[in-house]
Amino acid sequence: MMWSRKSAMLGSLAVAMYLLGLTLRNSQLVTIAVVIFVVLTWAALFGGHADVASSGRRSEEFTGEEGVALGNVSAMRKMSSARLFEDGELSVTLRMQNHSGLAKILEVRDRVPEVMRIKSGSNYILMELGPRRETFIEYTVECPLRGFYSLGPVAVRIQDAFGLFHREKELHVYNDFLVFPKMEDLKETFVKSRVPKIFTGAVNIRQPGPGSEFYSLREYFEGDSFRAINWAAYARSGKLMVNERERDAVSDIILIVDSRAVAETGPVSRNALVYSTRAAASLAKYFLGRRDSVGVIVYGDEVVSVDRDTGKKQLYVILTKLAGAVAKGNTPLQVVVNRILPHINKGSPIIVLSNLEDDPTIVNALRDFRARNFDVTVLSPSSLEFEFDAKRLDRTGYEVMKTERDVLIGELRGLGVNIMDWEPDMLLSTALAGARGF
Amino acid sequence: MAEKTSGDTAHLYDGKTVRSSAPSRKALAGSSGIGTEIPKDAIPELQIPTFVESLLGGPLVPKMKFLPPDKMVQNLQLAVYGLLMALAFLTLIVSPGAGTIWYMIFGSIGIATAMQVVIISIATVCGFVGTFRRDGRFLLVSNLLFILAILRFASSKVALAFDPFGLADRPFLLSSLVVVYAVFLIMFIELGNGVLRYSMLDTSIRTNEVYVMNPGKIVGKYHRALVINPVVSVVLATLVLSANKILPFIVGLLNSETALRMEESVELTSVYGVALGTLFVFIVTGALFMLNLPGAVQKWREARSE
Repeated sequence: MMWSRKSAMLGSLAVAMYLLGLTLRNSQLVTIAVVIFVVLTWAALFGGHADVASSGRRSEEFTGEEGVALGNVSAMRKMSSARLFEDGELSVTLRMQNHSGLAKILEVRDRVPEVMRIKSGSNYILMELGPRRETFIEYTVECPLRGFYSLGPVAVRIQDAFGLFHREKELHVYNDFLVFPKMEDLKETFVKSRVPKIFTGAVNIRQPGPGSEFYSLREYFEGDSFRAINWAAYARSGKLMVNERERDAVSDIILIVDSRAVAETGPVSRNALVYSTRAAASLAKYFLGRRDSVGVIVYGDEVVSVDRDTGKKQLYVILTKLAGAVAKGNTPLQVVVNRILPHINKGSPIIVLSNLEDDPTIVNALRDFRARNFDVTVLSPSSLEFEFDAKRLDRTGYEVMKTERDVLIGELRGLGVNIMDWEPDMLLSTALAGARGF
Repeated sequence: MAEKTSGDTAHLYDGKTVRSSAPSRKALAGSSGIGTEIPKDAIPELQIPTFVESLLGGPLVPKMKFLPPDKMVQNLQLAVYGLLMALAFLTLIVSPGAGTIWYMIFGSIGIATAMQVVIISIATVCGFVGTFRRDGRFLLVSNLLFILAILRFASSKVALAFDPFGLADRPFLLSSLVVVYAVFLIMFIELGNGVLRYSMLDTSIRTNEVYVMNPGKIVGKYHRALVINPVVSVVLATLVLSANKILPFIVGLLNSETALRMEESVELTSVYGVALGTLFVFIVTGALFMLNLPGAVQKWREARSE
């Protein structure tokens, strides 16, 4: 049983009045003190039902015994889905059961992660639960940010009518769920752009081989299939000519996501890491949809990689990895480059998603890529803009840092890196088009 | 002849800003001054609890903005107004000017009585304002002033400022009056607090922060408690305060002579006797708590319902 602030104050007042009454020989003070003691004792002995909370203490601070009254209360939870995308909604049904023969007035709070918003219903309920009855509490939460989350525990509180004493119990019912970064559809944008395929080298590697697209005509050699002979060309030139087709190649796309501690600079919902993970998810979906092979490297306090692969399963693996990316550590990009360089195919497009801050190795690392003829694209969500928009940065500071950033971007551009300073309100497709110069 | 117009076109630009291009960020940065102080809006707001708040584990007075009161809160407010009037009247009766701190300072019963009336009036007005505006600060001041009004020196025996019911010759009724007064004071503290708590609850319900299933039953329990608790308090407090009579009665079962001496002893009939009896009762209660009597009671109730 826990004392609320009110009961503690009343108790102190009673003790003070009691002692003062004895000192002043004032029976009225003693009488008031006695009445307060009686009220407190009565509430403590028979306060078996709850009321609205008046205590300032939070349930997680309590580690003691919750008492008999809550021993017969149990909870179960059901969620509409264990995986959803950012801005998605999760419906939760909490089933509260009272196994006791006594009715209880309970205050129930189902713990929801702080970043979640309650869309409908409520996770905080005051209710009377009849003897051997159960009730269903339904609410919907909106999940604005990617990550691994957990619902629970369920905090149950029972309190006397005057809010003097309460008992609390945490029912350790947990449900985990995963929020994937939301994705932007890039297909439409690319189709509408002047050049249909931005990463032309990514799919067609310009080599003859088995495929569906026409590549060139050449003379017939022994062993060539008769089906490949171009009879019209034979009629024109008098020589046996065959159609050569362009090899349908599945290319490797490498996405490098910066999840260092500095990537989380800015508000929780608007920072470089949030933008980078969303961009990586969108790009992965786009390229996997084109049957390319996509690999992801997330670096922060360590380098985590998803091996290149194709298909829907790979998209799920990538999304899971991106959902779990936590801003931590300060691994330089050069370490990542040194580690992956021996394992990636020459000429593979590399897309780096980083705010380019607090890493002196960026220029050298990207130079290493360019020196080996990799097609490097950098999408750089600007932490400065996030900070400035949130009014955490004064204009002078912003301008100075912006100039430094412009200089760095200019230097990288000079290395032949396709780079885009991605401002917060810019769509990913626009930023990509800007990076590639369309 | 028409006046020759001047070739000077400055008047066209007077008071106007002429830009040749979009404002440059860098130019803007240049004109923003060379001060290095951090702008106020760049510093995130931090709520550091005061010393009192850190002691109490939260604000003394809730800072929540309430929505207009619903019927339940309005009823509670009305109850507080009624109770406040009765409490003010009872306080006037049970706290005569003699023996108060004002009497000790000014040495005049008239001034002391006037001071008591002023204090009780301020306490009442603060109680009204605090309840009407649902402001905990006024209620707190009101509670403290009511307690201040009852602080008297050398009043071992209950004395009345005036006696409209003729209770002076009936010691039991006189001490019962003080018990009733004490219960009124406690109920005023509770009801004032109830107004704030139910305003918080009502606001939370209406802003969808909390959902209440069957609010009628929950409010009904509170109403029942408001009736039952004072009655129980009066009965129990009377029993506890009658310890100086109950103890001789119990002793009288064993030894009538000792019981007679106890009854006539000044110590037991004075405030120390009351205190002794109270202490004895509460030592027993404390022991029962240590043996987890509330838990046992609850277990028994649960078992009985099976």
